[in-house]
Amino acid sequence: MSSPVIAARRLSKWYGQVIGLNDVTVSIPPGISGLLGPNGAGKSTLLKLVTGQLRPSQGRVQVLGEPIWGNPEAYRRIGYCPDHDAFYERMTGRDWLAALLGLSGFEGEPAARAAERALETVGLAAAADRKIGGYSKGMRQRIKLAQAIAHDPELLVLDEPLAGLDPLGRRRVIDVIKAWARDGRSVVVSSHVLHEIELMTSNILLLNNGRILAEGNVHQIRDLIDEHPHTVRICADDPRRLARHLLGYPHVIAMQLQDGAVIAQTSRPDAFYSELTALAAGEEAGAVREVTSPDDNLQAVFSYLVKH
Amino acid sequence: MPIHDHGYARYAGTRRPPGRAWAVIAGAGIRNMLSARPFLFVLLFAWLQFFVRAVMFYLAANVPQADVIAPSPATFREFFDQQGFFVFVVAVYAGTGLIANDRRANALQIYLAKPLTRVEYVAGKLAIVMAFLVLVTWAPAILLLVLQTMFTGSLSFVREHAFLIPAITLFAFLHVLLASITVLALSSLSTSPRFAGMLYAGAVVFSEAVFQTLRGVTGGSGLSWVSFSASLAQVGDVIFRVEPRYDTPWGVSLAAVAVVIAVSAWVLARRVRGVEIVT
Repeated sequence: MSSPVIAARRLSKWYGQVIGLNDVTVSIPPGISGLLGPNGAGKSTLLKLVTGQLRPSQGRVQVLGEPIWGNPEAYRRIGYCPDHDAFYERMTGRDWLAALLGLSGFEGEPAARAAERALETVGLAAAADRKIGGYSKGMRQRIKLAQAIAHDPELLVLDEPLAGLDPLGRRRVIDVIKAWARDGRSVVVSSHVLHEIELMTSNILLLNNGRILAEGNVHQIRDLIDEHPHTVRICADDPRRLARHLLGYPHVIAMQLQDGAVIAQTSRPDAFYSELTALAAGEEAGAVREVTSPDDNLQAVFSYLVKH
Repeated sequence: MPIHDHGYARYAGTRRPPGRAWAVIAGAGIRNMLSARPFLFVLLFAWLQFFVRAVMFYLAANVPQADVIAPSPATFREFFDQQGFFVFVVAVYAGTGLIANDRRANALQIYLAKPLTRVEYVAGKLAIVMAFLVLVTWAPAILLLVLQTMFTGSLSFVREHAFLIPAITLFAFLHVLLASITVLALSSLSTSPRFAGMLYAGAVVFSEAVFQTLRGVTGGSGLSWVSFSASLAQVGDVIFRVEPRYDTPWGVSLAAVAVVIAVSAWVLARRVRGVEIVT
């Protein structure tokens, strides 16, 4: 197994009386990893600890095998895209990138080339000589991404990179992130929208109230979820008759009728789906027109884990 | 049909060794200031006294009747006294926005995620103000000494007052450091350069006003240490070996200057952070 790009052990961060991150032990593998959680979950705190912006109150964190706090030399290997805008509005995109590349040790012609390459990668080459103040929200997000990738880091740390983007901009940024990972480098991307992360990776880390709620592959998390009640919505011609049949199943733990559909909760989803298929085939409970489950998307997974 | 490689090409060029990021900040800041025409006029104006003194030195060296204006160590001490106004103006112009603007643009968060320490960041910003202040203090003073030697065609003045070069250097350094670090610390307290400028002007004027009030009440100048400029002036007199102007022991004045520098450094250490923590 390859060594983790980020390894945190008993990591905590307090802001005075407020806990930002609480006793987090986690190993993030190479590739794209998604950091999920509602606002205030501790995502940004974790990312700021990972990028060396904050000193841990307790515990330690290693990035790419090195301790990160007080080790600016290691920052050369990291590209960080913060959630908030951080621009000089009167500078052009190209000048801004070139100035930041200077801080990463690039100078002269190599700095200009690296800036150009990053601008092309994020699709901003045509707007490179315009002032940042005139950029749209999508362009601002992309120029932030450009500064994160321009110095060719091994690890990209992106805090809510898709926030406020239109669908086209979102697609562009997702493509850049995926392409970056295809080249053998790692990306840690945070979001509070599960669907966004799902488009980039199946390797996720769920955070809530400063604690890790779950980590691993989406499917592994689904296994975890399956221990909890699973909701299924069934549209049928005769919902009452169907409901009577379903109540006979020992794993169905709750049921309600709503708008001509049966909403059932089961503790064994696999058995439920198999028996429902048999029931629909036999037509003894009437025709079943549609079966949907809010659990089929990551949002439901997250909601379940937060609740339980 | 040729198939082109669309893979990502890793950067294979050289990178500046670590520890020099402060020079990048300083260079960018100095270039930025020099591109502002009003600032160039301020710098030019700050050299007016130099030109006037250069003419006086010339006359003293070449016109026997002008002997009364011949330079002495006190001349250089006066030169620094009169440059004090320009030190103030240049510090406000060049220094108040240096950190305030970065804070307003949220830029610190991105800067400090680069291979740059907070010390390097502050050193880079400090270098910008100090460079311009050296240009209006140490540089013209040393040039005056050089001109004096050239006009008289003799090194006798320099030999006679051998302490002058170290005195000019030491006092210029102290003056420049005090003004630079104070203005930077005040810049770090705000996101508005104007507000930082008002704080700086307020601190200088208020401390002087308090001293003058106390002087009026006590009838002596023993409490000059409460004023930035009076403390610096007292230390300057000692460095240039002229009669100290106030009753305060020079050690106390030096301690007052040191305290201001230390407090400013402490403020910078607290305020220059990538992430501002409000508790």
